[in-house]
Amino acid sequence: MADLDSGHIFLTTFAPIKDSSESNANHTSFEQNVRIALAKLPTAMQSPATQNTGINSPFSRNKRNHLARMFVLNDAVYNGRIGQNALVATVKGVNTVVPQHVDQLNCAYLVFAADIDAITRDGEPLPTNLSKAEQKEVRAAYARELWNTMELEIQDVYSNCVGFEDVDTADDFAEYLDKCHVETTMPFHDYYMELPKFHLLATKPLLLAVLIPALVAVVALAMRILGWIDVPMLGWNTLWTFIIAAALTVLIAFMAVKYVIRNGEKPLTPATYDDLPSVLKSLYSQQKFSTFAVENQGASASDLHRSFAAFLTANKPSDRTDPTQIPGVISVAAMDKLNKKTGRST
Amino acid sequence: MKRPLNLEDIQGNVTRAYGRFSFPFARYFFLNIASGEEGRKFVDKVRRQVTTSARWPSKQELEAGVVGPEKPQCTMNIAFTFFGMLKLEIPSRTMQGMPFEFIEGMKARAFMLGDRDQTETSEEAGNWDKHWDPIWQGNRAGDGNDANNVHMWISLNAQLKTPGTDEPVDALEEQTKLLKQWCNESNGGVKILKGNSRDGKAEFQSASAVFEDVHGVKMPTPKEHFGFTDGIGDPVFKGQYPDDRMKTAVVGRGKLMGNGWEPLETGEFIMGHPDESQELPPCARPFEFSHNGTFMAYRKLHENVGSFSQVVEEEAETYATQMDVALDEARETLMAKMCGRWSDGVPLSKVSTYTEWRAFGKKMGFDVDPDAEHPVTEAGRAAKAQIDYIRSPEASDFRYADDMAGLKCPVGAHMRRVNTRDYLDPVNAVGVDPETGVQPENKDATTALNRRRRVLRRGLPYGPSNFDSKDDNTEQGVAMMLMGTSLFRQFEFVQQQWIQYGLDFHEGNNTCPMLGNHEHHQRHTIASDPATGKPPYVMNKLKTFVECRGGDYFFIPSMTSLRMIAMGIVDPT
Repeated sequence: MADLDSGHIFLTTFAPIKDSSESNANHTSFEQNVRIALAKLPTAMQSPATQNTGINSPFSRNKRNHLARMFVLNDAVYNGRIGQNALVATVKGVNTVVPQHVDQLNCAYLVFAADIDAITRDGEPLPTNLSKAEQKEVRAAYARELWNTMELEIQDVYSNCVGFEDVDTADDFAEYLDKCHVETTMPFHDYYMELPKFHLLATKPLLLAVLIPALVAVVALAMRILGWIDVPMLGWNTLWTFIIAAALTVLIAFMAVKYVIRNGEKPLTPATYDDLPSVLKSLYSQQKFSTFAVENQGASASDLHRSFAAFLTANKPSDRTDPTQIPGVISVAAMDKLNKKTGRST
Repeated sequence: MKRPLNLEDIQGNVTRAYGRFSFPFARYFFLNIASGEEGRKFVDKVRRQVTTSARWPSKQELEAGVVGPEKPQCTMNIAFTFFGMLKLEIPSRTMQGMPFEFIEGMKARAFMLGDRDQTETSEEAGNWDKHWDPIWQGNRAGDGNDANNVHMWISLNAQLKTPGTDEPVDALEEQTKLLKQWCNESNGGVKILKGNSRDGKAEFQSASAVFEDVHGVKMPTPKEHFGFTDGIGDPVFKGQYPDDRMKTAVVGRGKLMGNGWEPLETGEFIMGHPDESQELPPCARPFEFSHNGTFMAYRKLHENVGSFSQVVEEEAETYATQMDVALDEARETLMAKMCGRWSDGVPLSKVSTYTEWRAFGKKMGFDVDPDAEHPVTEAGRAAKAQIDYIRSPEASDFRYADDMAGLKCPVGAHMRRVNTRDYLDPVNAVGVDPETGVQPENKDATTALNRRRRVLRRGLPYGPSNFDSKDDNTEQGVAMMLMGTSLFRQFEFVQQQWIQYGLDFHEGNNTCPMLGNHEHHQRHTIASDPATGKPPYVMNKLKTFVECRGGDYFFIPSMTSLRMIAMGIVDPT
């Protein structure tokens, strides 16, 4: 469930890269090809050099991803020999001269991770809860959006991956990416202006529910050991009291752990302006409004009223989509510079 | 700390800001080494004169029979660039343990430091360092000619010859002659590089406190050229002071980790000692080579005094109209809100309004009585009152977590950027009570996100005194030296993230109103106390008031290390 949180899907996919030793007529391995394709993907325009190229990241062509990352996971990192207490090792008869087994992945993987709005159509509001099937549909819709906006780049990268030969359409890619999907275990979200209502755990009642039967079990056992056959006043058999209380303790502890995990998995609600178009618009508005505020310092009430009307007309704060900041561009100033270069208007 | 530091092994400029120890004059020499052997001989001569951190007993202590080395008339200290150490033939195995930013040098870091326009690629920036002093333009020019490279830094700090004048003791010139003599004796192996000024002639960077002329009597001030009192809140670390002095010295200058003010760990500033993350700072082998040494960024910071007063004047006029205050109050308030301290060093965090400040100055005796019978004595008395105050714990004893909104001291003010104190504690509560106008106290806030970003500041102003005329084109500023065991983690981080950027202060791209580059971002926001009913004020005409005119990164070895270098016995095996 941790894929969905705060109205976003935190997507993680692992696509196995083809084994060059099996079928490769070239001198370049598939893994090298993936790295070459990734190296050639344009980044977002966030430095003077990339701004000068005027070529934006292909991920900026959709309005759903807040962050996207692709990289090659070559293998599990080897941390060296697993250490052991020397006495334990001696008792177990471990021969430290014999090399330990070294864990390896079965192949290299192309990892694609993204933080996206959990929607199937642009403009939809962000949901708090989605069923497994609905989440799958969000992922599929995003995959189709990627295919429709950056098919060439996807083919360039993924053509080196196992099973991609049969992918010809947006639907095929959605299905392919779903096969590569793994659960995200720790999403991170940082758009809150006000913190959401957290699903706080009632730790004290939970602890008591486990500790009370545990205490009864311990006391009953101690009484039995000391020779008490029955619990005074209640007349319960101490052995049976111990057995039942111990069983209850285990059962309640198990259920408590389950409950804690389920509570942790409950997604948080989206923040008020959490979708990508709102985020871009807020970046735009923040820059435009601070300039407006500075330029109108000390203005008379009537002048201020007039200029604010003009500001509202020009910048349409309630319209999420226009005018706004282009994805992948670092500021309004950089955007203006780019527009000048390409002759485009926002 | 139970066991005292080996102060005789640590160079004196690391533990002391000489300016505060009555050395108002300095000369910074930059030398080139052509021959390793001659270089080592030269270092051997210098090291015998080097001033260590050994404590000089005070007059009273001497009279009471305390034994200790005499305070010199003129100090001498030495440091090396990466290429300087290569020239001295220190083994590669030692050199490869040097930090990458130190190897690259300050010029290569200009983009990140904001010393050049960050909206340009290196091709577009082209000859961006053309305003640097010739010596620094020639240094690390990448032309394969290492005869222009700065290899060695030697500093001389001198006392005042006669009170009432602005002349240094003769020892300053004598030590200068000695250095030249040693260069001559090196048969071209070591030479002093010229070019510490725009005309390319100066053999050294001269520096001195800014003097005031009081009825013909010259008095050194603790001010820099914009008129601010400087060098107040330097960090304090374990072992820097004897225990009795530490108790007061640490107030406002150490760290807050839940036990009141405590000194920072020595390893933040001197290698070979545990640091604030409970590790030994990474250092080059052998351990004895790095132990008790540190790194230093030397930066010649030019001050555009003309632009500064013009912008302050222009903004003050608008501010005075909008806030309905007198021009003089507007000017003083804006300057204080840019810096974080009033011009006499009184912190805004403690004395936050103009009226309170005037009353405070009067109470503390900072004001000069214009009708005093002996104007010189009166000026001396007022100056002493001010210096006593800025050196007292009172001047440093404040926090920012109780002013998260920056109503007293703006969040983007210079002081809040270079030393964030407890402002960045992530659990600090924010907001202003609409009824009472009170902000949360955040009493338990810690300096955990600041204690790894502290920098020792050394150096002196350079340029004409206050009785001479100054503008953007005259040569004045501060010859700055910033020290720490990691230039990358400490100096460079503060410069990049806190001086040239504002995100940590919710100030977007706004840069430090005083030290920042204002080519593209010209704003400084001054929050207004809601109780006053006045709107906030945004200064928006800032120009680049302080610009780097050159410098480089240096390693300041310990005395043991200097001896090993001089003897050619640095052995990393």
